[in-house]
Amino acid sequence: MSPAEPVAAVPTDAALIAAWQGGDEQAAAELVRRHARALARFLAGGGAPEAELDDLVQESFIRAFRALDRFRGQCRFRTWLLTIGGNVLKDAFRRVRRVRVVPLDEELRSADGDPHEHVVALEAERRLGDALGRLPRLQREVFLLRAQQGLEYEEIAAALGTTPGAARVHYHHAVKRLKESLQ
Amino acid sequence: MKHDDALNDTALRQLAQRLGTRAAERLDVERTAEAVVTRLRQEPRGAGRVWAAFDSTWLRIAAAVVLVVGAGLLARPAGQPMPRDVAVLASPELNELSAPQLEDLLRTVAEPGGTRDAVAAQDVGLEDLSAPELRALLASLEG
Repeated sequence: MSPAEPVAAVPTDAALIAAWQGGDEQAAAELVRRHARALARFLAGGGAPEAELDDLVQESFIRAFRALDRFRGQCRFRTWLLTIGGNVLKDAFRRVRRVRVVPLDEELRSADGDPHEHVVALEAERRLGDALGRLPRLQREVFLLRAQQGLEYEEIAAALGTTPGAARVHYHHAVKRLKESLQ
Repeated sequence: MKHDDALNDTALRQLAQRLGTRAAERLDVERTAEAVVTRLRQEPRGAGRVWAAFDSTWLRIAAAVVLVVGAGLLARPAGQPMPRDVAVLASPELNELSAPQLEDLLRTVAEPGGTRDAVAAQDVGLEDLSAPELRALLASLEG
């Protein structure tokens, strides 16, 4: 039997947070690398224009790092970060009138496979995005955290300061309204 | 019908999982990480903590006095004039209040014409700010 190969230890989020609080900038960079795409998906799903996505992701991380002293580990760091992203997005919508830009040409140029299927898929996503934009904020965030990010109700509830039962109700209301919009 | 609903739920969830994926893939994560670190470096970590530098004792006292005065006003029947002590102490110059003045205020609120019970604790947010606790706080200041 060959000896087991040493496995490089992957630092946990908690370890990276502690390292950042101790002054390690690279720990902050690693947290950004680890969670930026999930945050970007959440923000884009919530209606963030792609042209502003990078700025919104940066702002969310900056606010999160500034508020880390208040993070008590009640939920995962990523979940907490996503809720901060929701606040950043809300503030951005207050500043500028919401404009949803669908760069269709760019999407089509980058598409693999059947262009027709791709257009149909894009249209479905656009309609879902529009329908999400018409939901109350809490329903929209619970829906994205559950359906897009795959989180459990307990985790969602801890991040949003509500109960799992209430999170479940928000999710089901959101699904009902989205189905009505998409029919 | 139930089967159709289940299919719709699955389709909706799959659609939601695709939402924003392409935009996220186009994000230059390394550049974003560098930008965040640069901003964190440029903006000192203590910049947002001005409030924390204040003497928290005085902030607690200010909050307690505001709540006590508010409770007294809520407990008073409409149209009944405000006692002179409360009117004077409701001014914002909290730093100038002496301990005896604050105790006078507490006595005034503790006996608001027998109507105190009409205000539930959850209405005024005084669950943790009873008169004995406030007196203890004042006593600690005097000491």
